[in-house]
Amino acid sequence: MKLWYSFLKELQLSSKSWYFYIEVGMAFVLLLILLIAVPEKSDPRIDEYLYAGDLPQDYVEVIYRSILDEEDEAITPQQVEVQVGDGVYEADLFVTDTRNLYFIQDREALRILAEEDREIAVEILLGSEGDMIYRYYLQGYESQRLKNLYMILHNNLVSPSFIQRHMETQTVKTLEESPVTLNNRENVLPVFLTYNGSLMGLFIIAAYIFLDKQEGIILAYAVTASKVWHYLLSKIGVLMVTMLGTSLILVVPMMGFGVNYLNLFLLVTVSAFAFSSLGLVLTSYYRDMMQSFGVFYILIVFLMIPNISYFTPSWEPQWIHFLPTYHLLEGFKEIILGGDDIRYLLSVSGGYLLCGLVLFWFANHRFKKTLTMG
Amino acid sequence: MITVKNLYHSYSKDDQYAVKDVSFEIKEGEIFGFLGPSGAGKSTTQGILTGLLQLQKGEVNVAGYDVKHIKNVMFNKIGMSFEQSNVYSKMTGRENLAFYRKLFDVETRDPEELLKLVGLSDKGDIKAGDYSKGMKHRLTFARSMINHPTLWFLDEPTTGLDPAIASEIKGIIKEENKKGVTVFLTTHNMYIADELCDRVGFIVDGRLVLIDSPKNLKLQYGEKFIEVEYVAGDEIIKESLSFVNQEDIGRLKIILDTYPIQTMHTKEATLEEIFIKVTGRGLV
Repeated sequence: MKLWYSFLKELQLSSKSWYFYIEVGMAFVLLLILLIAVPEKSDPRIDEYLYAGDLPQDYVEVIYRSILDEEDEAITPQQVEVQVGDGVYEADLFVTDTRNLYFIQDREALRILAEEDREIAVEILLGSEGDMIYRYYLQGYESQRLKNLYMILHNNLVSPSFIQRHMETQTVKTLEESPVTLNNRENVLPVFLTYNGSLMGLFIIAAYIFLDKQEGIILAYAVTASKVWHYLLSKIGVLMVTMLGTSLILVVPMMGFGVNYLNLFLLVTVSAFAFSSLGLVLTSYYRDMMQSFGVFYILIVFLMIPNISYFTPSWEPQWIHFLPTYHLLEGFKEIILGGDDIRYLLSVSGGYLLCGLVLFWFANHRFKKTLTMG
Repeated sequence: MITVKNLYHSYSKDDQYAVKDVSFEIKEGEIFGFLGPSGAGKSTTQGILTGLLQLQKGEVNVAGYDVKHIKNVMFNKIGMSFEQSNVYSKMTGRENLAFYRKLFDVETRDPEELLKLVGLSDKGDIKAGDYSKGMKHRLTFARSMINHPTLWFLDEPTTGLDPAIASEIKGIIKEENKKGVTVFLTTHNMYIADELCDRVGFIVDGRLVLIDSPKNLKLQYGEKFIEVEYVAGDEIIKESLSFVNQEDIGRLKIILDTYPIQTMHTKEATLEEIFIKVTGRGLV
């Protein structure tokens, strides 16, 4: 009962504190960013600019026909105007599944696009023997492999039929039939859930504790028949409730009934418990926020590193798996995806619970030892 | 009620002791004053007795509990009033007391009664953060009584209070003591110690140098004087004469026989004077 009373009191106090409104306010700000600033779907097509204005019309028609033949579905070239620098130029646009191909009518415009706008630009010229010469405007960062590929394709070093045969002998294994994909907003949601929950929890509990240290509240609590861990757990309880609330602010408008809320509650609760306990351990070593700021800053930066591999899947070193936020991100992603991998979610949640319990035990031990500090 | 044997404590966990070989006993129903200047070891000792500091070396028994293996139920019997007010500033005075009473397993006092006792009944609905320093101090003092403590730790209970309120607080302490409450009073104010305490202990540089009743200390260390003002010619002369010095006694007789007396009264040594005499140190 004492724990319950402490928890109710902490809820009452947090509702009167700025930190509570900062957390809730931040959740709404993040939601607005998702809804307004992040496009739901981005155009996956790449813009490519070509100039074939010096070719005879027959050649141009051959090129156009070869583009149309490559596509499964019929496409129609469109007459469009392209803004290049201060000028507007006419172009024929072919929109394929993967590319927007602009056949621009002006060579100077192509040069500006390549040089100033850093666009992919190719000039097609007529050779002295009536062959076509491709002049690529490279940006300097292209790999040697890409350059080799251009050489092979355009210098007939390898015949197209050879390439075709080679491709046909390749074994293509489909690991997942019709995988579920997230739109841009849904893809960002795990990041916001992770960092709004874990890092804010870490920071806010430190703020609560340092405020109490400043007011000497912990000392007054320590000379009651209630236990110090009641005090600490009631603080964590408030953080858990706040994290659940702020997570719902983000998830409900975005996903509606499309996620398993039981899984979400579980992961938010155990991660809030673990990170708040970590925050408690750290605060037990310092008197105030000023003293502890450096440690919190470094820790938060480390915990944010998995973000990089989340948005850059090709960069995922083994060591990043040891950062707790990596698995939290993946766990939230799994929930947003539909939560099929219950085993992974339970193992992540179990890991967080276990770490949280160990950290909480240590925090309680530290607080009992350092009651008069601060 | 309290037994302390060979208590040592070092914050740096080496031989730089803040408290050195302190031993004393406090009987049930006694008001014991722990006196010393700032940094003498008063708060350290009190911190160990109340479990706020871990016992490193020595034996300490408080209210029947061994402080080495402190149990939270011990605090059902203990009240603690801190020198620095430590109340929830975002809660009202009434809410503060109402919350703290739920943290004990024993029958507690009505917050209204306590607010009235310390003169805050009309301020009960104001946030403690908006209280004056003195009001916060009174609220902290009131909170320490919420569980009907049988052992009451008071750290500078009248510091920062105006004389009228301080007098009321002293009255409350006396009343509670009459009911059988044992009081451990930590202060550097010798007047309040003199007025309230059955016994006092002087602590300096971590060592407890003396324990006795204020009366015995005055008898043992204080010299009694008579201050006499008399008229000699056109002048009013003031002299301070010892009770025990034969020469002074002779001088007093001459004054009484020869001159018209204006005022004459006895003067005892104060605890502060005795403290300085015994320890060679002031109290600040």
